[in-house]
Amino acid sequence: MRRNTILTAIALLLLIGFLAFADNFFDLYLVRILNLCAIYAILGLSMNLINGFTGLFSLGHAGFMAVGAYVTALLTIPPDVKKQIFYMTPIMSPLDVMNLPFPLALLVGGLLTAFVAYLIGAPALKLKGDYLAIATLGFGEIIRVIFTNTQSITNGALGLKGIPNTTNLWWSFGTALFTLVVIASLIRSSYGRALMAIREDEVAAESMGIHLAKHKNLSFIIGAFFAGIGGGLLGNLLGTIDPKMFTFTLTFNILLIIVLGGMGSLSGSVISAFVVTIANEWLRFLDEQINLGFMVIQGKVGTRMVVFSVLLMVVVLFYRNGLMGNRELTWDQLCNSKIWRGLSARKRGTAIAEGGEK
Amino acid sequence: MKRNLMLFFMAVLVVAVAITGCGEKKDSNVIKIGVFEPITGANAAGGQLEVEGIKLANKLYPEVLGKKVELVIADNKSDKVEAATAAARLVEKEKVTAIIGSWGSSLSMAAGDIVKKGKVPTVGASCTNPLVTKGNEYYFRVCFIDPFQGTVMANYAFNKLNAKKAAIVQEVSNDYAVGLANYFTENFKKLTGDPNCVVAVANYNTGDQDFSAQLTNIKSKNPDVIFAPGNFTESALLISQARKLGITCPIIGGDTWETQEFLDIGKKAVEGVVFSTFFASETPITNESKTFLEEYRKEYKKEPAAVAALGYDAYILILDAIKRAGTTDTVKIREELAKTTNFEGAAGFISLDENGDAVKDAVIKHVKDGKFTYLDTIKP
Repeated sequence: MRRNTILTAIALLLLIGFLAFADNFFDLYLVRILNLCAIYAILGLSMNLINGFTGLFSLGHAGFMAVGAYVTALLTIPPDVKKQIFYMTPIMSPLDVMNLPFPLALLVGGLLTAFVAYLIGAPALKLKGDYLAIATLGFGEIIRVIFTNTQSITNGALGLKGIPNTTNLWWSFGTALFTLVVIASLIRSSYGRALMAIREDEVAAESMGIHLAKHKNLSFIIGAFFAGIGGGLLGNLLGTIDPKMFTFTLTFNILLIIVLGGMGSLSGSVISAFVVTIANEWLRFLDEQINLGFMVIQGKVGTRMVVFSVLLMVVVLFYRNGLMGNRELTWDQLCNSKIWRGLSARKRGTAIAEGGEK
Repeated sequence: MKRNLMLFFMAVLVVAVAITGCGEKKDSNVIKIGVFEPITGANAAGGQLEVEGIKLANKLYPEVLGKKVELVIADNKSDKVEAATAAARLVEKEKVTAIIGSWGSSLSMAAGDIVKKGKVPTVGASCTNPLVTKGNEYYFRVCFIDPFQGTVMANYAFNKLNAKKAAIVQEVSNDYAVGLANYFTENFKKLTGDPNCVVAVANYNTGDQDFSAQLTNIKSKNPDVIFAPGNFTESALLISQARKLGITCPIIGGDTWETQEFLDIGKKAVEGVVFSTFFASETPITNESKTFLEEYRKEYKKEPAAVAALGYDAYILILDAIKRAGTTDTVKIREELAKTTNFEGAAGFISLDENGDAVKDAVIKHVKDGKFTYLDTIKP
């Protein structure tokens, strides 16, 4: 037990050290990718809470992100910039002068998203399985259409720009860590056990005295809160948002992350958020010309996406339950993994990810 | 099995890292120009047309200041998040001297902050949303902006069609359509002096198929002209449905209509519709247009689209600015770009105003015998 605490402390220190190093020495391109990794980790974790742990097949994540992103953006854009970008339809009166510091705006964005989730969740969570998926998918689209048509609030299809870039590595990784800790503790609490019981068998869970509606709502609202915060961070990182950004493809990007990482595995979501984001960007070399030393291959732009899709298919074919299944990466597991023992006892090693399987 | 697979992945990784590692050699005799376009995803068709124009320009003018110009193409996947990363890659990793792009204003806006911070002059080819260049001294464009196009069509409706009452059908989820409709309304009101001259405004969303509700309402108002800026598929459907409902008044629109699909879907119904665009291949505007048309037909064996000409213009404009600056210093190139006046491009003479937007002639075209035909040129 003590060993684990020490290891956690060391890992945290290493992370802080790495972030400080990255903040000072990495170029903006790498920093941006790292920021994206962390933001996708937040989004993946929040979606995994709803889909992976509670077993609610919800596809409304893009809608939640849109609410969070718009609220945060509208609260942080300085009033004079607002006047400039709302050149077609002037912005509604209390919004034009409203301005909050970034952390507060982010929090308000998250809370409002949670409130929206509460409103949606009350009727929608009565549905099960595919029906819930369709209802939440519809919700995401409705949010987008509303934002397109309320020009005096969101500037409609023109979108917002000039959002001050406050997001840096400390913000994104800090929030990601906070999300991880909150959701992990929730999962370990009696509420979390109840959520997992609901996932396994609703009837059995209810007969054990678990209030279904209350627990489902709880999971939905907390997931939405972090989705809103993730959306706010993303908008802030980009500096511009518009309704077209929040189509269902965005939801599927995050769904891809949690399915690849393993539904019901927090560490899986984090690992896969990093793997997907970095792989997607790193594969760009396929689009350019490749110099093998003895020959030059002229790259065809777009090859990257083909290769990326093939890699995804291979992973999903060979790891049916995602990279991590529903297991977590823990210190105990790491120390007992075959690699570690293999190194010390000179046995044949396999990957960490397979630690508990054989 | 899994172990072998793991080993295989490791091997792929190692080889790939090795390949990426040795590809990077710094060459001071090369000037890199980034091309930031959607090559995959929803906007791929438009992005690829622009790239064709840019590649042609690069083939015709491969050198500046005695150095070879190399195009670095970065796909932004028609996705805003990806667009920002792609732009950051061009600025930070590839260290390009200038950037061209992107098709789609929202993608261009995602790159705005990055090129501004990296001080890399960027020339958009066909992004028409005024917000792209507003408040960003490093973003320019070779096309005119939505307000101008809306104004041109309002003038056309009032002066040439003698319209007193107009109806508007706009694709509300499209920044371009909303912008055009807004400026059309503003100017039409000014011209007619009648605040109620726009008798109906109807909205639809991208992907809609049925417009009968909007059109029935418009028909009851009996306008002299319908202004319907929007995506080509929806617009073509809208026009044929309007004709079926017995709406006979002229229907006018914007440059997005100029695609083969518009003609294929609309068939007989789109006969006679009028729209504004950047470029007409049958009447070369400048000497550069002639060169462009000849070479384009030779290279790609088809008629060029307006955006291809604009991509071509963005490239030669940047090259010209580098020549005038006499250096690859990006700040100096930006200064020279801002000074551009009467630059001879393939799609007309370009002068950049204080926002970095091109002030240039608009071309009016109509559909005649199932083909887009040149009608008129309108000065700014």
